[in-house]
Amino acid sequence: MVFILGVNLPDRKVARYALLAFYGIGQHTAKRICARLNIHDTARVGSLTSQQITGLASFLSSPATTPPPPRYALAGPNFVPPPPNSVSTIPLRGKAQEDPLRSVRIEAELRREVRENIAHQKMIGSYVGRRHAMGLPVRGQNTRNNALTAKKLNRVSRYA
Amino acid sequence: MRPSAILFKGRSAWKGPYFVAFPNLRDALLNNIPIRTQARACTILPNFVGVRFMVHNGKDYIPVHVTQDMVGHKLGEFAVTRKRFTYKATKNK
Repeated sequence: MVFILGVNLPDRKVARYALLAFYGIGQHTAKRICARLNIHDTARVGSLTSQQITGLASFLSSPATTPPPPRYALAGPNFVPPPPNSVSTIPLRGKAQEDPLRSVRIEAELRREVRENIAHQKMIGSYVGRRHAMGLPVRGQNTRNNALTAKKLNRVSRYA
Repeated sequence: MRPSAILFKGRSAWKGPYFVAFPNLRDALLNNIPIRTQARACTILPNFVGVRFMVHNGKDYIPVHVTQDMVGHKLGEFAVTRKRFTYKATKNK
């Protein structure tokens, strides 16, 4: 049993799927996080080292401020093996510069963002905001029958 | 995500936002005259702030007063096209 940020990760679960218990982490993000912390695809939560668990906890508590992992030099044509653990200094170009895990938002932070976005729409009185206030589907779905998901979720103060 | 991606939701960055040029914009801002328009798909640009629009909803023109928070949305989002359902008792039974 591992406790991270008040979420329980059971020992028997595969680490990659145990991470889905967090609100805001899907399969893709879970895979990326595991890759960053060198957690194998088939590793179970019970088999994680304490270093990996602290790595997970520190990443999930503040994804935006966690430093990106060190990069190791790629082999070129005139490759001379660098001393072990040397860090590449070649600057990245293009999309590789953006750290995809930096913009991850989870749990309370993500819920607050969703709430703020809806509140913004309501405040300016757009169609989306009105539909949220009425508890009806926002994106043009039919309302002749059912619309049950919207009635469940699009309350005055949204939960989920 | 790139900053431009937030601005042009789902639209190529090189195209920029879709908007319609209103020749009477300055006049409307100074004299507080509403602009009648059917361009519901026009993005609200920062220089529209403070202007009053009359946006067509398919039947008539709905007054929309543009504020700072509306920048980046479309004019049509603020002119409702649907009529609220009201129950009317049938006359002939």
